[in-house]
Amino acid sequence: MSTFDEDLILLGVEADDAEAVLFQLADLLHSRGFVKESFRAAVLEREKQHPTGLPSEGVYVAIPHADPVHVNQSAIAVATLKKPVSFAMMGNPEVSIDVKIVVMLAIHNPAEHLQLLRNFMKLFQDKDLLVAISEAATKRDVYERLRESGVVGTLPINS
Amino acid sequence: MKTNLHVLTVCGSGTVSSTMVSEKLKEALAAEGYTVTTTEVKPQEVVNYVELGSYDFVAYTTPVPDNLPIPAINAVGFLTGLDEEGFLEEVRTVIKRINNA
Repeated sequence: MSTFDEDLILLGVEADDAEAVLFQLADLLHSRGFVKESFRAAVLEREKQHPTGLPSEGVYVAIPHADPVHVNQSAIAVATLKKPVSFAMMGNPEVSIDVKIVVMLAIHNPAEHLQLLRNFMKLFQDKDLLVAISEAATKRDVYERLRESGVVGTLPINS
Repeated sequence: MKTNLHVLTVCGSGTVSSTMVSEKLKEALAAEGYTVTTTEVKPQEVVNYVELGSYDFVAYTTPVPDNLPIPAINAVGFLTGLDEEGFLEEVRTVIKRINNA
């Protein structure tokens, strides 16, 4: 079971750097008990060592996550950014990209959540959807778009 | 001709991205008549696994040492779907080389 709901969406986050965004999302997940206290530091450290900025169609996305040992229950938290912040690119850390959407994955068992992960990969190829999410005016709008497009809609998600 | 391939998939935590790459790779290569067995590892485990196992190639989403004795292919474009064909072309080239060796 994965959790994704409106309260796990941060809209128009103002942050000077990636770290500030990671803090906010990790704290949100922790405040609801999905991740352990160690998750925040783990996700930060992991992002430095193995960045997760992904080049995508038009709007760049980052998918920060951490080792499953730091996760209590799978959940997804999403932030749209007021101004893009710089993330290093997955597989190519020397390259920085301006990210506008951050999807933080707290995954307890990757094999079980393969379909969820695959759906997120599909999101990165949908330019219109990425633009709509990055410009959404309400959390509900982000939530509905992700549900309607099937990114999270086909999953056993509590909300 | 070798149709059973052993692939080491690598990502930062040895779990999320490498699992996705493994599953996509199994599916893509099944369509071309290959059976793929994968092991998902962290970057710091790569050298040991390559030495101890009989892997045909490495597919990675986070950089791996560049002096590995087997081919290593960047799988980020495969993961995001933005360059699936580019990745699969590299994989096919590696498989051809293995089968002609």
